[in-house]
Amino acid sequence: MSSQNSRSIKSLLLRHEVLLVLVLVLEIFYFLNNARNFGTPDNLSNIVRHSAEIGLLALAMMPVILTGGIDLSVGSLLGLCAVLFGVMTHDWHWATLPAAFVTILLGGLAGAFNATLITALRLPPLIVTLGTYSLFRGLAEAITQGTKTYRSFDPGFLGLGEFRFLGLPLQGWVLGFAALFFGILVHLTVFGRSFRAIGYSPEGTRYAGIPVLRRTAMPYILAGLTAAVAALLFTARLQQARADAGTGYELAAITAVVLGGTSIFGGSGTVYGTLTGIAAIAILSNGISRVPAVLKAGIGGELASLLTGALLLLALAAPALVRLLQSARKQPTT
Amino acid sequence: MNPAPGTLPTPPVSPGGPPLFRLSQVTKSFGAVRALRNVSFELAPGEVHALLGENGAGKSTLIKVITGAHQPDGGLLEFEGREVSHLTPTRARQLGIACIYQQPALFPDLSVAENIGLRLEPPGSFSRVNWQQRHQQARELLTRIGAAIDPETEVRALSMPEQQLVEIACALGSGAKLVVMDEPTASLTRTEQELLFGVVRDLRASGVGVIYISHRLEEIFALADRVTVLRDGESVATRSVRDADGTSTLTEAELIRMMVGREVAAIYPPRTATFGQTVLGIDNLSCAAGGVREVSLEVRAGEVFGLAGLVGAGRTELARVLFGITPADSGTIRLNGHTIRVGNPQEAVEHGVAYVPEDRRRHGVILPLPIAHNMTMAIHRRFFPGTWLRFGREESLASEFIQKLGIKAYGPAAPGGSLSGGNQQKVSLARWLATEPRLLILDEPTQGVDVGAKSEIHKIIRDLAAEGLAVLMISSDLPEVLGMSDRIGIMQGGRLVHVLDGATATADAVMTAALAAA
Repeated sequence: MSSQNSRSIKSLLLRHEVLLVLVLVLEIFYFLNNARNFGTPDNLSNIVRHSAEIGLLALAMMPVILTGGIDLSVGSLLGLCAVLFGVMTHDWHWATLPAAFVTILLGGLAGAFNATLITALRLPPLIVTLGTYSLFRGLAEAITQGTKTYRSFDPGFLGLGEFRFLGLPLQGWVLGFAALFFGILVHLTVFGRSFRAIGYSPEGTRYAGIPVLRRTAMPYILAGLTAAVAALLFTARLQQARADAGTGYELAAITAVVLGGTSIFGGSGTVYGTLTGIAAIAILSNGISRVPAVLKAGIGGELASLLTGALLLLALAAPALVRLLQSARKQPTT
Repeated sequence: MNPAPGTLPTPPVSPGGPPLFRLSQVTKSFGAVRALRNVSFELAPGEVHALLGENGAGKSTLIKVITGAHQPDGGLLEFEGREVSHLTPTRARQLGIACIYQQPALFPDLSVAENIGLRLEPPGSFSRVNWQQRHQQARELLTRIGAAIDPETEVRALSMPEQQLVEIACALGSGAKLVVMDEPTASLTRTEQELLFGVVRDLRASGVGVIYISHRLEEIFALADRVTVLRDGESVATRSVRDADGTSTLTEAELIRMMVGREVAAIYPPRTATFGQTVLGIDNLSCAAGGVREVSLEVRAGEVFGLAGLVGAGRTELARVLFGITPADSGTIRLNGHTIRVGNPQEAVEHGVAYVPEDRRRHGVILPLPIAHNMTMAIHRRFFPGTWLRFGREESLASEFIQKLGIKAYGPAAPGGSLSGGNQQKVSLARWLATEPRLLILDEPTQGVDVGAKSEIHKIIRDLAAEGLAVLMISSDLPEVLGMSDRIGIMQGGRLVHVLDGATATADAVMTAALAAA
């Protein structure tokens, strides 16, 4: 009985999400003791504000990966949406609200473009979004001629970047709403159920009478919409819209999703895991830059990136390593 | 003492000399589950020894012990009279133990000769490939087993049985002394089976020991010298199939009794005589891409319409047209008198057409998902109004089917992959019964399913028909077609060439019609 218990505890520990929560707790404990001003309310809202855009992209990326797909275009789309928003508000003198609305709509359209290529033409998601990754960024650069930066937005809009409600910055609310939305979508609706089934076996799902192509399209469209929302947050926070906004964000988002335990092959994963992944990365990069020695050397960014990579590899390799050690102990090699 | 090769059919029942391979008191546990308990088993050179048992009886574990994939917890392994203390897959290969699995493990993009070469040529050398020699060797091996396969064809282009023949050629080429065959005929047609049987007999004649696993009892009678029955991880009995002068010493009923541990009274449930209105009517249905040509047939409520024919005769293809996977080019499909259009599986499901596919691991069940999720997959819209999942409702539906169909699983949350083949098939069936269909298409409903589960599935099919369902049953298992069908349609080359009355049809009549030149 006791061996059975210890076995189940061990398998629980090997569960990715549990491992990650442990890492998160360790991070927080370490930084509270070693990083300057880490635990202040100001810094906590700082972490939320800075992780919001990548966090949004990661949350939208999760269902895409759950279906066995990938969307490399979201970072570029963020840049394109930011520029489009700048064009509407500055060059066309639109009011903020309609411009924001149209930006989000265009983001959805861009996502639908990805989805159409992937489902109607049955092209591999990796190739399609690699194409639109260049296409969207190229468009943004063409519009701005690579140099133009839109500044001086409506003070009301820029205020959003600093806006708080009940002590939580606006970004926190948006991120929380997105987490709730994707959490419900993935875990409590037939759509999420279909994503998972498609991730495991698109053919098998088709044989169950589920409209596989329609269901596959949905996460890409949602990713487009979410990238546009992230573009607005980005513009409000940095008070400017540039063509290179969100460069490399798609990879950061994928890192958070995979770190959060979603299988890159599709099928398995949880939204709360993704949230934990986002938090682990955000806290790591914020905390490490506040450790006095790092601060002095001025290598916060480099170290954060290095540690994120190490964390990802370690988290992915840990269960495999434990299994390897166990089997090595059980069976002497011949 | 070994009989001279070629003096078949009198096989060596208990030959003198040391056995080729012996297992004594082998035990193997996985956690708390004891998969093998004191199993003893012996194989003589030049013997075909059948291994029989329901799914979950321990056959797979035993094979894995024999091929070195699993280490036994206790017991003794001997090969050619010498104890083998630590058998690994590599060691097993060196000793001359080969295994041919149900699903051939070949590289689809390489040619037959390349596949054979990869297995047989010494690894690790970077010297140039001698193509001529490679092709020569492949050709010789294939000729020896009577396979008409060009060594230069890509494996992708081969049928499943042809791939199995390539596997056998590899085993032969490696000079295997012991060949394990795990349900080699599961996907073969009659003629291909005969070819395979010939190969097995040749192997036996050349002194190779063959461990033969199959659910088809008639094969065991046709082929095996001895049979060992496993039940719940124990070896129940080892019996000779024939005595010295070739008379049978064993009956099917005895074997079934040993396997199941109980008497299986009637193998096929009795037919019901009353049919209702025509449920499915198809006229001149064709699909060029699917290879279905001008098929017309009718299935009435309460009727089991069996579809027989060789593999590739267009039976599965017809099912795929009716289910909308490859929609029809021309012809009409009527359901309850109304002409319907089936352009995709969703439309088929909406009209009340259910299809339990042949390949349950790829199409029937999504293995990593819980069985409860699998069972509600085809009724998402109806069962979860407003798209909200209702976990409690789903769980009770699953529990209901688990009980009703006698599915052996620890609960609705058990992943499909944790179940045995027969139970997976029942999950696949449950998914479609949950749709409350009008027409149920079953494609090889008992393929790779053990005897106990098989008769349970047969009873379920008959009960469903009695409730007024129209059943279209595709099967390559001739006794099953004869035992279950009210009418039997025989297909050939994409056409329905013959319809026989199920009660009076004979195996000969069905086979004759299936083989007759078009």
